[in-house]
Amino acid sequence: MKTPWQVMTGSDWLVVLFLLGVSLAGIAWVATAPEGTQVVVTSGGKICFTASLDQPYSVDLDGPLGKTRLVIDDQGARITNSPCPRKICIAMGVARHTGDLLACVPNRILVSIDSPAGEEVPYDLLSR
Amino acid sequence: MPWNRPLIIGLLVVLLAISWWRLLPDDQEIRRSQLLMGTVVEIVVGGESSDKLEAAVDAAVAEMTRLDQLLSRHHQKSDLSRLSRSDTGTEVNVETAEVITLGLDVAQRSGGAFDLTLGRLKVLWGFDRENPTVPDQVALTAALEGIGPTALSLQGQEVNKRSLQLQVDLGGIAKGYAVDRAIAVLKEHGVTSAAVNAGGDMYLLGLHSELQGRPERPWRIGIQHPRHKETLLETVQVSDRAVVTSGDYERFFEEDGVRYHHIFDPQTGLPARGCQSVTIIADSVALADALATAVFVLGPAAGLQLLTQYPTAEGLVVAADGTLHSSSGWTNYRVTP
Repeated sequence: MKTPWQVMTGSDWLVVLFLLGVSLAGIAWVATAPEGTQVVVTSGGKICFTASLDQPYSVDLDGPLGKTRLVIDDQGARITNSPCPRKICIAMGVARHTGDLLACVPNRILVSIDSPAGEEVPYDLLSR
Repeated sequence: MPWNRPLIIGLLVVLLAISWWRLLPDDQEIRRSQLLMGTVVEIVVGGESSDKLEAAVDAAVAEMTRLDQLLSRHHQKSDLSRLSRSDTGTEVNVETAEVITLGLDVAQRSGGAFDLTLGRLKVLWGFDRENPTVPDQVALTAALEGIGPTALSLQGQEVNKRSLQLQVDLGGIAKGYAVDRAIAVLKEHGVTSAAVNAGGDMYLLGLHSELQGRPERPWRIGIQHPRHKETLLETVQVSDRAVVTSGDYERFFEEDGVRYHHIFDPQTGLPARGCQSVTIIADSVALADALATAVFVLGPAAGLQLLTQYPTAEGLVVAADGTLHSSSGWTNYRVTP
């Protein structure tokens, strides 16, 4: 003779399916989290563009002085054209390592390289 | 086997708990980069509540913005602009007085290698302009007239200038002071783990918090090689310390095959030639900032001798010929490969 605790009712199965669904959703969320090094561009303190460093891309970024051209290729991310007077941002060269920054102060454009979650880098910040 | 309700539900609850435990972050880390004080300011804070961390970062940025208004020569109403316009001096805010006090101390101890009175010289070289050029000797001599550690004095908050045309420039120290203040504001908000980096002037507060399985540890700072941008000169580990690097590669132009950079020798008015880069670790960014400039101007031997006057400061110097020199306590911070 089965006791009531040994019988699975329809409501029990609903609870089981709900818990199973929530667990699987959590695992799927983690599994689909973005991977790979990202190029993040902020303008005026707000993120205005993100892209993978692994995919070639070029984009014109709007700033108060005009358009700053960012190119992503197999070497990394670099600014190739800018309306700023001294072109220091172009002279900064290529950014490809986590924590690297390119900045066009006059045109208020900031490009940073962000690491994929969990990546171990040899340093937290670069003193230069 | 009969279904066992408690066993199945119990197993699923355990599965649910494990899944969500993995999803919960240990500690949060917030990174914010923005253009401030004419450079890139990067703030990293770690802790448990992202709302509190965001509020702390907002307050730190607000403090740095306020100090920029006070200490920059690019703002007409700043203490610095008022001081430069005045005939014999003026009263300044307490923060400006603090910066000048520290700057004058380093200026005196370094025999004038660090100098707060190079305003005219810096305008003359025009590193802020589109096309900086090498000034002629007559103009250089005029720009150096009346400068030096005794050209400026301070009584309370009253700054006195020795000559009317003296132009004060806090470029070698103000950014560091602003980072120190930002760290103080973060502490006031309860932050115990943070890094504030203003264009290479940085302070590392506490330990780099535990994150994604990585245990809590001191902050690791890579020091860029002055001639090979892609290479690290060294990596150091620090906690509750400032790290500042000054180099001849930061801002420069070339004329007739000669590199002219922005760190000037107050004796000649020309770029100092003894070093490629200097990294200082100290207990405040303002001090490290001023010492990095002073050591760069003095060169490796005299520069490291100057550091012996500052028990909390250590330095790593890349001399003009590429050789490495460091103070005796530097190895305490070096990460062994």
